[in-house]
Amino acid sequence: MVAGAWICLLAPLAGALGITLAGQRISRRTAGWISTLSTFVAFGGALVAFFGLWAADPSDREHVSTAYTWLAAGDFEVGLQIQLDTLSSTMMLVVSGVGGLIVWYSMGYMAGDDEERRYFAYMSLFVFSMLLLVEAGNFLLLLVGWGLVGLASYLLIGFWHHRPEAVAAAKKAFVMNAIGDATFALACVLLIWETGTLEFAGVFEDVGSLSSTTVNLVALGLLGGAIAKSAQIPLQTWLPDAMEGPTPVSALIHAATMVTAGVYLLVRAHPIFEATPDVQHLAAILGAATLLVAGAIALVQWDIKRVIAYSTMSQIGYMFLAAGIGAYGYAIFHLMTHAFFKALLFMSAGLVIHHLDGEQDIRRMGGLKEVMPRTHVAFLVGILALVGIPPFAGFWSKDGIIASALAAGGALGYTLYVAALIGALFTGAYAFRLYYTVFRGSQSEYAAEHAHEGHGEGPRSMLVPVWILTVLSTIGGLVVIPGVWHPLTEWIGETAEALVDPTVAEDYETSTLAVVLGLVGLFLARRAFQAGRQLVTNPAIWRVLEHKLYFDELYDALFFRPAVALSVALRRNVEEPVIERSLDEIGSGTIQVGGEVARVQSGLLRTYAVAIAFAVCVLVVVFVAVR
Amino acid sequence: MLTTALILLPIAGALVVAILPLPRETTAGLAFLVALMEVGLWIAAAARFDFDDGSLQLGTSREWVESLGISYSVGFYGFSLWLTGAAVIVSAAAIGYAVWIGRDRPRAYHALMLLLTGAIVATFASQDLLLFYISFEAMLIPLYVLVGVWGGARRQAATLTFVVYTMAGSLLMLASVVAFGVTQGTFSLVDSGTSDNVWIFLGFAIAFAIKAPLFPFHGWLPLAYREAPVEVAAVLSAVVSKTAIYGFLRIGLPKFPEPADDLSGVILVLAGAGLVYGSLLAFRAPDLRGVVAYSSMAQMGLITLGVFAFDDLGLDGAVLQSVAHGLVSASMFLLVGMVEHRCGTGELASLGGMARGRPALATVVMVAGMIALAVPGSATFAGEFLIMAGVYDQGWGYSIVVALGVVLAAMYTLRVISAILHVKPGPAVREGALDLRPAELALVLPMILALLVLSAWPALVSQSSFPGNDAAQAISDGFR
Repeated sequence: MVAGAWICLLAPLAGALGITLAGQRISRRTAGWISTLSTFVAFGGALVAFFGLWAADPSDREHVSTAYTWLAAGDFEVGLQIQLDTLSSTMMLVVSGVGGLIVWYSMGYMAGDDEERRYFAYMSLFVFSMLLLVEAGNFLLLLVGWGLVGLASYLLIGFWHHRPEAVAAAKKAFVMNAIGDATFALACVLLIWETGTLEFAGVFEDVGSLSSTTVNLVALGLLGGAIAKSAQIPLQTWLPDAMEGPTPVSALIHAATMVTAGVYLLVRAHPIFEATPDVQHLAAILGAATLLVAGAIALVQWDIKRVIAYSTMSQIGYMFLAAGIGAYGYAIFHLMTHAFFKALLFMSAGLVIHHLDGEQDIRRMGGLKEVMPRTHVAFLVGILALVGIPPFAGFWSKDGIIASALAAGGALGYTLYVAALIGALFTGAYAFRLYYTVFRGSQSEYAAEHAHEGHGEGPRSMLVPVWILTVLSTIGGLVVIPGVWHPLTEWIGETAEALVDPTVAEDYETSTLAVVLGLVGLFLARRAFQAGRQLVTNPAIWRVLEHKLYFDELYDALFFRPAVALSVALRRNVEEPVIERSLDEIGSGTIQVGGEVARVQSGLLRTYAVAIAFAVCVLVVVFVAVR
Repeated sequence: MLTTALILLPIAGALVVAILPLPRETTAGLAFLVALMEVGLWIAAAARFDFDDGSLQLGTSREWVESLGISYSVGFYGFSLWLTGAAVIVSAAAIGYAVWIGRDRPRAYHALMLLLTGAIVATFASQDLLLFYISFEAMLIPLYVLVGVWGGARRQAATLTFVVYTMAGSLLMLASVVAFGVTQGTFSLVDSGTSDNVWIFLGFAIAFAIKAPLFPFHGWLPLAYREAPVEVAAVLSAVVSKTAIYGFLRIGLPKFPEPADDLSGVILVLAGAGLVYGSLLAFRAPDLRGVVAYSSMAQMGLITLGVFAFDDLGLDGAVLQSVAHGLVSASMFLLVGMVEHRCGTGELASLGGMARGRPALATVVMVAGMIALAVPGSATFAGEFLIMAGVYDQGWGYSIVVALGVVLAAMYTLRVISAILHVKPGPAVREGALDLRPAELALVLPMILALLVLSAWPALVSQSSFPGNDAAQAISDGFR
């Protein structure tokens, strides 16, 4: 069982190393197979671990396994350590399973790119990093996985490194994530000094004895890491730019790995957050704010991938909301169904982009239903799951979150409830706007030109993963049916017991409201589409949304430009005049003196030696005398 | 005997290379062979060293001037053995690079490089203050000549500032050495006790601060790192700077517990300021060497924060970071040299797009760059994290400064990686510029591999650096 977890962790690493070391000796296709198969081997390991845990007695479902001491100083030790429990086993399945499908799909999508080997090495590194993140048995190792995920995303977002936008986007993602890494690391520092350990079990045991200031700071540090990695307000600006990477990368970042890491951290470290409800609620509030803002921005985007990207931010907002009010089971449940339908949406969008020779602007699409019937079905299933129309996967998980907000009650609970419901309206509107614009209506000129008959919709390696995800997005939510059964949320509850539990009545009441609002969104999008106008008609609001609420401009003015200005000012006003030039003058003076006395050089040397000896003597006397 | 052999081998090699009238290639090859043998000797020494113990080992002690209490006394602790390991590996790579590039007047050049290596090893091994001083000074003479003769266009100015700064430091240190020896009655680092004389401590501290360099004693750094032959700059930033850290660890802290404690506030503030200042200057430096030079200065500030944390976490972190930074900084400088060699310039604006068609260069630059910016999981990350955790005890603000340094390091390192590898080829990048040659790879890869091993197991160094694996105790006991 634990061996399965280790295999799950190490198989993708072996894949990445193998591809890197083999270099040109293997064909591009072989590299793709190594990457795909190693990810599925990891999935096999995850299955072994999961079922081993499943069969075990509920009291025996937490296993910690340490390979060796990774870092040590004095009494402080951190092991290369994994923790297998209900939470990590679920995450392992999602990461390696959905990840494997995405890597497989990549083989078709990236076929013909002249750097396929590099691509697949990065993909395997990405999956490995995410598995390290979810399997880690202590905070430092979690931080290592955390940072390696950032590294892999940097490499993949900037994969097409000849494009300036891709390079800029990759750097932005890395630096934003580095800010989160830094606050995370600071939280770890506090934990070392206050609890003496970074192991989950040890830390959680001691949480109760910490001062409230300490707990607040630790929780804030972790939350900083979580919002950076999960692209929540206010560290969200890197995510839309990350669309510069190849489409399967977007799928991997958005569905199986990376952005869900913040949610995982909130659930994993729940004892810390529960000890400081204010910070935990802050997570919920940031989630609610993000889900509304991102949902609104998605209404005005023209790039097919960017619409889906904002939808990810918005859906992660729901997960943050859930984790912030203690509905851990539903947070992970939504993480799982979201992985299914978001991977499906990105991959079917990838089929569209592939079909249209790389075009991503939805204004140049339209009417694709006729030429891409199978893609159309897959995309529609993804949209229905996203909007939360029963019985598709998103319906069960999202409504569970909204109902939990209602069950949490109080001013905060009701506010979150309303925000989440408005979010459902936005979701319906932007999702169907996208669907109608791309697949319905008459074909645009561009689409007609590029949509070749008999071209097929894509190679088998792309279509099969899409079918599998279509099925999962349809039935994947049935593992939790209010009033009937809750195996998944109960399973997660063994590791992170939920603080709120909506009643069946609350569940169905919420579901009715949410579905109706989603359908209203559908209706609005449909009417606007038929009338040939946009959903947002006010030009001022449109402009604000199109500029993503000016966050980029704000951060540019607040941080980047001051840093540049400070750097330049330091060089001009301190380094050059004070530190370099003063010595330059001494230097040139010495050269002159040196030139003049070169004729009596031997004399100079002697004088110099005597001067040094004298100075040393004086100093010695001074040092010894002045105490 | 092994320690003495480690010191004498490169010096003897230097003499042979300088005296024997061999042809160019043979001279260079011989020098490289000696450097490799030095690495082999170090491996032999490490194999005999009991890392679980970490106390003074492989020692030799002979009376020298008995009446003055001067002795030839050498040996290694865990941390100095690790520093020496990084030093001999970097020296071998640097000499190998000089061989590959074919430096003029090879006999003189390689003799000086080997002499420098011997002096560095002697500095790390000295257990006698006067021997330490002589070795410390002996590093400078080859450096002056190497920069002054083989350097770039402004080598004269570079050498002069370097001489002025280091001479000032030497003067103060010599006075301190004599004053300490006279008051203690012995120059032996093993036998001598502690002193509470602030002035003697300051003499040492300023000399080390110049050598590291620490802000604001870094006036010699920009010119020296820019004008020196690139492999000399590599040795300077990777290894010579670490002798200052060794000095603090072996002399500054254990011999002057009270003054070090009294002045730790000032030093911590300067170290933190240097970390931020160096990072900011690296962020906008216009050329490759500027970025690596200022980042090196920032790293020295970071390591000094760890040293003056005075606790296990900080001290072990400082040693780990010294070793890791030595290897990564040397790799970066050699890579800078390889890029400059292909493009004829290090101006960032003239470079770019080199990743396309040059997979080896792209991979190595990316890996070295990621380790340089301390990506989590790397040896540098482990070191930085220990320092960040250790210095918290001296004030939470210092931990925040380290965290700020992490973010800034990401900014300036990504900038330089992209400036070399990404987007369109710059005006200085010719279509025909080659990928890394096997010989160049053979020089850089061993250091990268060592870094990867350390990344997989940083405890190898951090756990075995001090006697009894208790750094703070060892320092406060004065290693006795």
